Amino acid sequence: MFKFHLLRGLRDWAGHLILIAVPVLLIAFFNYVFSGAQFRYGQGANPIAFLSALTIGFALTFQIYGASVSFEVIGDDFLSPKKDRLLASPAEPRAIVSSTIVVGFIVSFLQTLAVLLFASLALKAELGSIAVALPIFALSAAFNQLLGTAVLILSGSVKLANGILTFYGAVAPMAMGLYFPLPQNGFFSFVREYLGPMALANTAILGAMEGNSFKLAVGVGSLALLSLGLFLALPSLIRRLAR
Amino acid sequence: MVVEIRELIKRFDGKLALDCFNLEVGEGEVVGLLGPNGAGKTTSIRALVGLLPVDDGTISVFGRRQDGRDKDIKRRIGYVTQELTIYEDMSARDNLSFFGSLYGLAGRRLEARIEEVAGLIGLNGRLGDRVKTFSGGMKRRLNIGCSLLHEPELIIMDEPTVGIDPQSRNFILEFVKSLASGGASVIYTSHYIDEVEAVASRIYIMDQGHTIASGTLPELIARIQGDSHILVDVRIAAEKVRQELLAVPELKDVVIEENRYHIVVPGGVSAFEKIIPILSPQGIVNINSKQPDLEDVFLTLTGKQLRDGA
Ligand SMILES: Nc1ncnc2c1ncn2[C@@H]1O[C@H](COP(=O)(O)OP(=O)(O)OP(=O)(O)O)[C@@H](O)[C@H]1O
Ligand SMILES: [Mg+2]
Repeated sequence: MFKFHLLRGLRDWAGHLILIAVPVLLIAFFNYVFSGAQFRYGQGANPIAFLSALTIGFALTFQIYGASVSFEVIGDDFLSPKKDRLLASPAEPRAIVSSTIVVGFIVSFLQTLAVLLFASLALKAELGSIAVALPIFALSAAFNQLLGTAVLILSGSVKLANGILTFYGAVAPMAMGLYFPLPQNGFFSFVREYLGPMALANTAILGAMEGNSFKLAVGVGSLALLSLGLFLALPSLIRRLAR
Repeated sequence: MVVEIRELIKRFDGKLALDCFNLEVGEGEVVGLLGPNGAGKTTSIRALVGLLPVDDGTISVFGRRQDGRDKDIKRRIGYVTQELTIYEDMSARDNLSFFGSLYGLAGRRLEARIEEVAGLIGLNGRLGDRVKTFSGGMKRRLNIGCSLLHEPELIIMDEPTVGIDPQSRNFILEFVKSLASGGASVIYTSHYIDEVEAVASRIYIMDQGHTIASGTLPELIARIQGDSHILVDVRIAAEKVRQELLAVPELKDVVIEENRYHIVVPGGVSAFEKIIPILSPQGIVNINSKQPDLEDVFLTLTGKQLRDGA
């Protein structure tokens, strides 16, 4: 079953290319527009190269879109006539959905790695200590797969779920000041650093890169809690799906 | 009994979809479930497979109560859905392998079954090709094949021939018969009379949520005591001859249709010996006779035509 899901998840080459090429292009574009700028997250935080901030920000943004790798498959399985055939079998819906989510996670994380690799090779983004932050990218990818699945099941339609996540994927980076600078005050730095799962992941990654253990702990801790919450809700969500 | 359904009631938003539906299937039997669109065939099948909670009635499969959770029942059923429920972007082999794995098959055994099933459904040459490159008939066959990997004892096919070419259709019909001779029990739903006649050893006629008649084909036909129709074309039909025919006690009615005598004979009565001597001086050009069939059974019992199986 897992092998089938993996093949199915990897089959959509065009989709993967889009989820890799678009963030790379956006990074290049915004880097060109604000060339050489510095990016300051919190008040008093170390400024980091704008290109690095963009790379991390867009890699995280496209993990949100990467959630579709699993929820579209789950929708195709359980919000279509295929559901009857799957439920007629002795396989547990939980096993089918979990296998799909794991594949979604793997694919999404590979996309993230590709984006980071391209940005550092082609755009010469300085991602020096990014390796230490890779587990956080992984956690964020997992969170987004779970989030996409939950949104799909609660909304009951692939289209609606796509709409909701596209909106979230558009707003979250804006709230982080990725598209245009936000005012430098206490309120906005809080928004940038802690409001929403993507900001938390971003903060954790910067914390890891800068050796700021407070940011790292708060970011990873909250993101892990959110993921755990979704994970614990999964069985009842799947029961709802299989009704 | 492999399947015993008693007095099943299912409502959708207050509207009755199953209204005291009954069904029995014995071992090795092919049971045809015949009914027009919306009769409740799929609803009854979904209830039988355990996918649909019902409002009343009992379902037993392999002698156990069907509650939708019994894995042992699930393992022993192969369900071919009315809609195509295969993965178009994947190869036929991937599909077969996936559905086999859902039933716990793996490794060599799964590989062997994939080859076997591919042979049965006539797709061995195309196993590696993506399903979306298949014709409608090939997809239908794969849709069936995906339910057979685990060698189910009860195979349920919900309109497995919808929208395919006659050749694939015949292939499927022959195939269904061979499944039963291999010992499996089969439930075959359709609104095509000829299909049900061709495959089923026993037929249930269903309309508006309930079984209106069941039995073997001869039993059903005997039940309506339908009339046979003998159509004799002559050079010129004459009223005088018609009167002569009407005087024969076995004949129920005689109508002249241009140069044809349309003779109605009660079912089971043979009247040729009486008719031929009267008509041969007229110069018989052609004789046709039509026995009552399932279509007449349906018409008599429901007062309406089953959708034409063109
Ligand atoms: N999920 C559902 N919700 C509401 N009504 C339903 C549902 N499923 C079936 N029905 C209704 O129940 C009745 C029986 O439908 P069913 O699909 O069982 O018919 P069928 O005999 O399989 O027809 P067909 O030959 O068109 O497949 C129809 O009136 C249909 O509209
Ligand atoms: Mg149907």
